[in-house]
Parts: sequence; C-alpha cells; structure tokens
Amino acid sequence: MNKNNKMRLCLFWFPPGSHPGGWRMSDAFAASESTFDVYLEVARLAEAAKIDAIFFADAAAVQPVDLIAKGDPKAGLVHRGAASLEPMSLLPALAAATKRIGLIATATTTYNEPYHIARRFATIDQISGGRGGWNLVTSQTEAEAQNFGHDNHMEHDARYERAEEFFDVVAGLWDSWASGAFIYDKTTAQCFDPTKVRILNHSGKHFKVRGPLNVLRSPQGRPIVVQAGASGPGKALAARVADCVFTAQSKLADGKAFHDEVKSRAVEFGRRPDQIKIMPGIVPIIGRTDEEARELRSALLSNITDDQAMRSMYRVAGGLDLRQFPLDGPFPELPLSNGAQGRQKLLIEMAQRENLTLIQAGRRFAEGQAHHIVCGSSKTIADLMQTWFEQGACDGFALMPSYFPRGVRDIAESLVPELQRRGLFRTEYEGQTLRDNLGLMQPKSQFDA
Amino acid sequence: MPERFSDAMRKLHFGLFIYPGGHHLAGWRHPSVAPKEILGFDYYKRAAATAERGLFDLYFVGDILAAREREGRIVAEGALNNIDSISIDSAIAAATQHIGVVATLSTTYNKPYAIAERFASLDHISGGRAGWNIITTANDDAALNFSRKTHMEKRLRYQRAKEFVDVCKGLWDSWADDALVGDRTGGCFADARKIRPLNHVGEFFSVKNPLTLPRPPQGWPVLVQAGGSQAGIDFAASTAEVVFTAQTKLAEALTFRESVESRMPEHGRDPARLRVLPGLMPIIGDTEKSALRKEEELNELLHPAVGVWMLSEQLKFRLYDFPADAELPTADIRASGNDFTPRVISLLDKADAENLSIRECGRMIAASRSHGSIVGTPEQIVDHIVSWFEAGAADGFNIMPPHFPSELDIFVDEVIPILQSRGLFRTAYEGTTLRDHLDLARPVRS
Repeated sequence: MNKNNKMRLCLFWFPPGSHPGGWRMSDAFAASESTFDVYLEVARLAEAAKIDAIFFADAAAVQPVDLIAKGDPKAGLVHRGAASLEPMSLLPALAAATKRIGLIATATTTYNEPYHIARRFATIDQISGGRGGWNLVTSQTEAEAQNFGHDNHMEHDARYERAEEFFDVVAGLWDSWASGAFIYDKTTAQCFDPTKVRILNHSGKHFKVRGPLNVLRSPQGRPIVVQAGASGPGKALAARVADCVFTAQSKLADGKAFHDEVKSRAVEFGRRPDQIKIMPGIVPIIGRTDEEARELRSALLSNITDDQAMRSMYRVAGGLDLRQFPLDGPFPELPLSNGAQGRQKLLIEMAQRENLTLIQAGRRFAEGQAHHIVCGSSKTIADLMQTWFEQGACDGFALMPSYFPRGVRDIAESLVPELQRRGLFRTEYEGQTLRDNLGLMQPKSQFDA
Repeated sequence: MPERFSDAMRKLHFGLFIYPGGHHLAGWRHPSVAPKEILGFDYYKRAAATAERGLFDLYFVGDILAAREREGRIVAEGALNNIDSISIDSAIAAATQHIGVVATLSTTYNKPYAIAERFASLDHISGGRAGWNIITTANDDAALNFSRKTHMEKRLRYQRAKEFVDVCKGLWDSWADDALVGDRTGGCFADARKIRPLNHVGEFFSVKNPLTLPRPPQGWPVLVQAGGSQAGIDFAASTAEVVFTAQTKLAEALTFRESVESRMPEHGRDPARLRVLPGLMPIIGDTEKSALRKEEELNELLHPAVGVWMLSEQLKFRLYDFPADAELPTADIRASGNDFTPRVISLLDKADAENLSIRECGRMIAASRSHGSIVGTPEQIVDHIVSWFEAGAADGFNIMPPHFPSELDIFVDEVIPILQSRGLFRTAYEGTTLRDHLDLARPVRS
C-alpha cells in the first residue's frame, strides 16, 4: 500500500444521531433545537476537522407509520427519520455557510425524475463551487411508496433497472455543456458557443429526455456519486458508476472481501480501482479512556426505550409474539425466521453468548441496527481504523456519530488529531473541490474525444 | 374602491425578482455588467443583500425546466444557466436574516410529497421566511425533458395544481404545532397523537402518510401565484395569498384585481387577505432625459433575433422565417386557436392599431418581458408606484431590475428613501417571518 495514501472520512448524519438512544443524552441537541443552526454547527465542526464531506441520509416517510396511523403514543418513541430537513434543500444553505467541506445528499431514483436530480445537484455544485455529491438510493420502504401514489414498493430488480437508466440520463445531462461554453460575448450578443452544447435525446425503457440541462458544467466535472446498495444489482451499479461506496461491515475479513469484490468489478467496467473509494460505516463511541467510552456506551444503551428494543426484534422473531414474555426474563427460543435469517442468527448467538435477558438482547440488537459500533479511546479506535485501512479493507470511513454535537466534537477534537499524528489523515484540504479532496480524477467529457 | 386602500397605515410591499443577466434581455450586454459574474452564487447573494438593505419583503426566484435552445439559436440567457429555485433560496436564507425567500416550482412536473417536504425544509431553514410561487409551467419544452410526449393541457394542469396544493396543505398540517416534544426523560421524541396520516386519494394523487417534518414555522409557506389566464385567476382566487402579475395599464390592473377578489368569497376567502404585486422594471436616471437615454441604450443592445424568438414563444407562432420588417401577421396568429393570455391579446391589439413590424413587436416584448416598465427620475418612479398603490391596483411591486447590480442599487438607494419619508414603506423589519412582512395571518391547522 502506498505510504502517502490518506484515509478519506465522511461524516454521516441521520438526525438526530446514529444511536437510537443518543438524542436522550443530557448534552444532545434538544428536539426543539432541530433548526438550521444545529446543522450549521455540525458542518462547521466537521470542516474545522478537515473531514472530506458531510453526508445526509433521507427517506421520504416518517416511521413507524403503522403506530402513527393508530395514534399510538409509542410511535413517538422512535425517532429515526423524523424531523430531519430534506437534504437537497439543506445542502445549498450549508454551502453558503461553509467553504471547503463536501456536501452529499441522498436522493432516490424511484420517486424522482432524472432532469430534476441532474439540475438540483448541478445547482448544489455551482453554489458550493464544486463540493456536491449525490447518494443514489432506490428507496426501501412501503411507507415511501404510499407517499408517491403506489400501494406497494417497486420490486427490487426493477428498481435497480430503473436506477441504472436514471443514472445514465443524469450523467448525460451533466455532460450537456463543455466547460467554457458560456462565453457572453457582448459584441456579438452570443452568450454561449453553440459548438459546446449537446442535446441528449435519450430514449429508453423508463425515460425519454431531450436535454440539454439548463445548468452549465459542474466545477468538478460532475458531482460525486455515492452508492450504498449491498445486493448483487446494488454492487453492480456501484462498480459501474459510483465514486464512493458506503457499506455496513463489522468484520475485517468481510470488509476486505467486499472491498476487493467491488474494486474487481469496477475493473471489469474498465475503471481504475483507485477511482472508487470504499468507505464502511462506523459508529465511534469515544471516551478519554476505554473505560470512559464503555460507560458512555452503557448510558446510551440504557436510553433505548423498551418499545424501541422490542420492536427491533419483531422482524426476526420468526412469527413469535415476543410481547408474551417478561422483559427481564431469559431470551426465548425463536422459530426459524422466513426472511432475515442471517440477522436472526446474530441475535440468538449474541443472547446465548452473553447470557442476555430479553430486553437486554433487544437493546443491543436495536443499537446494532446502525452500523459497526467501535467503542474506546481515540487511540483504540484509530488502531482499528488503521488496521482496516492498511489491510486494504477500505479507503476510509463513514463516521456515524451516536449523537450530536458531542459525537462530532469528539471526532474533531480527539479522533482526527490521533489519525493526523499517525500520518493517516490530512491536516489541510488538498484541493478546492470534493473530487480533488477525494483524490478522484475529473470524468471524461464527451467533448474531450 | 374598497375602503381598505385608503387606510393611512397601509404600507407598500416589495419583492426583488432575481433573474440571471437581468430582466432586460440585453441587460447582460450593458457596459456595467461583468457577464461571467452571472454564473456564480455571489451574483445571487449580492442582490439579496441589497434587497435586504432596502427592507424588501421578499426575494423571488423563477424556475425554468428546459434550456430553450433552438438549433444553436438559443437566445434566452435567463433560461440557460437557470439553477434550481429552492436551492438558491435555501442558500440565500443562510446568507440573510430577514428577507422572505420565494421559490417557483411547477405542480405539473413534480410530486406533492416531495414539494411539501422541500418547502417545509425551506421554512425551517429560514426560520419562517419561505414562499412558494405555484406555477403549472407554461412552456412546452419541459415535457420533452420529463418523458412526456406533450405538455398537459391547461384546464387539466390547473385541476392538478388545485389538488396538488391541497395535498401539500394537508401534509404541512399533518403535525400539530406542538407535536415535537423531545422529552428526554420520558423518552418521547414526538407525540404520535398529534401526528396524523393524510390518507389522500384523489384524481391525480394518492398520498398516505404524514410529512417527515414538524409543521413549518409559518404553518404553510406563503402561497404565491402568477398566471393571468382565466384558469389562473380562478386558481388565484381559491389559493393565492400573493399574486404576481404582469400589468402595464392601471385600469387593466384594477380590473384584474377585481376579477380575482370577486371570486374569493365563493372559496370562503377574505379579499383583504390578498396582496397583489405586479412586476415592474424601473429604469432610473438623474433626469428624465438621462433615464430615457438609458432605456434607449439598452434597447439598442437588443439583438433582433432575441426579440423574434421571444415573440414566437409568447405567441406560440413561429416567426423565425418571416422578414423582420414585415408586419406582425396578427390575423394568422389569432387564427391559430391558441389560448392567449391578456398580455398577448393586448400586444396583438396594439400591433393592429399601429401596424407594428415583427422587429418592433419583438423589441417591445423583449425589452420588459411584457411586464410593466417605468422610465424616469426617482421621483417619477415614486409617483408611478404611489398612483397604483393608492388606486388599489397594487399593494406593491415585484421589482425587476433591467440588469444587476447597479440598477438594483439605484432603486434601493434613491427610490426607497423617498417612499420611507412619505410614510409609505417600512424603515425597519418589524417581524421575523414572511407572513409578518406581508401582514398575512398564519393559517390555523385544520
């Protein structure tokens, strides 16, 4: 591995935080503070730490819809996805208030039109001076489908088929104008050079889009594209088009296998392996000492409500109604699950290995719904990150703070300095655009040929 | 004339309509303009800062969904680098403190859930300064970028718009104002009894679940409308709190206002809750002569092809192959059977009465994009504004500077102070939300 190679770090924010018990901590942002100022504070902390980009997840539905529909008070106990600003609207505001940090928003190909998405991300790129990125998702939930006129969610392979074509249209629209096409020649009244614009005239199975885009070429060629699908079609799409891949991996060997597979598939698409950055997500729970970090984690765990804990297990309970068992009783025997068998096995093994009660197992399982939790001093966490990085299991990480602002403050004040001391992370932004900072080349334009 | 227009306490309202290159189609060619600056965000930010210095109510951004090029003859600069309206407003909200931010978005090429989310976000980001200019998209080009063979027919577009806005209102109201509890001790993030699903099933949309966001600070963003056709007027009467309209004559502007207001009661609405802001392009000089010279200078910069293009678009009639000095073929245009807006009809009447050539008509329509324009000294501009205001034809204006930044600076520095000294315009922002600025009530959750 190249000694000069640095890690890339993104900060992942699904408000109010990646740990389900995080928002209840006494030093977490209060719900009433879920205003733009909170987002701005986090973005500025991340920028001061030279983080590559801040990344916003999104789902166009508030959960859990079944309980909300019944007006069940327990619905209010689950917070994920509720009360978060729509990322494509948020990014331009953050762009106006920051200078160097990359800004990545999630947008679905299932409920959008490619012209809108191409235009909005080109806009974010223009406002930010080339710091925009698009996390391409196909949406996962029925609740979202119901908000867009469908009873059921589109079937998985069909979603990815649409996503493949969607991306091609967006990329084609981003390539509508050569750089320098807008000449604004006052003498001849020509505002652009007609040889530097191409009409897309796309006509495919899902879309018919003429073009050209009415936004000029992006300062970084085109916005960064992020993908996070773990399925076969998801990985194929990532290998073909993604600049960055976010992934949920908690074991080094699995992480390495995923990394190698995606990169070798990218090579099959004629891409250079260093032009696709693999970034597993980790939830760092940071203390001054390992002991302090463990205490913080226990506090977070105890903040997960009984209802959150129990609901997290319903899907893998194999049809067994867990509510009939005492919360503090032993973990019951589960019938084999139809769906998520792998996840059911993880739950059962954890409960047996650590001799957990039903509710303890639920809390741990709810916590792990997030990603790979890494708990310890900044040195301990940096050790793990260094191992993964040097073993070739990743190009960097998506850091997912358990709650805000503490999670990002700990990263900025202790984890990043530790990584910098080891020469693993930048001390200054290398370039002006997100693409520069990620070490990615400008994509070839159709006008280059 | 309703009594409320002679209320001594009544104040003017101003919007700034930002437009890449300026509202005069040749504005970017003016010697004072550095055209490359049009392409950066600073261009937008600087105009917003000036408008806020001038205590404007709102910053208004249009939205165009196609580049409108014509075989290399693209001539509508404003449509070229036309970046996403709500994104501009979001960035402007972060860069300003008080001014309202109004974004134009089409109900024909969007989905209501996504738009409700975006405007709720903008209202939260700006602390209650968001407004939505609801359009159904008038130009056919957009259809070709959205996998549609043809643009939706006007009557259907407005039916869809009505249902679209109803869905959005329902979504903004899906959270009660006090639903977000954030009770850390009790572990209750939001009170589910105060969040309700929409369960809307209509002709155009079915939308089931509540919005992802708490109710916007303003309840709903301020609803703005800008179409002048019969269908547009009906829609304004049922929905709009602010009407942005193209009016060039006082008498017609009064008739227009009356036509909207007279239909409001049948929708259970009070006409006193309507703000009418016609577009106005001011060309200001130290003397009347210098102002007229400035106008002439701008018109001289207008490339004839731009006028012909603009005219063809407005009339929905291809004029590219006619000699520019031929008379406007008004009979053929009228015979085309298109549904013309009042402003197009008045242009055709004028062309008939004065035997205008295609070139002359093109220049006329391109010079002000068919909105009202006023040329004169700051005092003359003030007289014009006040006469429309006092007659009740306008509650203020959406100001459309011919180019940026100098023409906006002049308006803010020389026209606004006169209006303030006459007690007709605010001397400080009194409230914090756009509804406060416009003196519009916050809607109660239904």
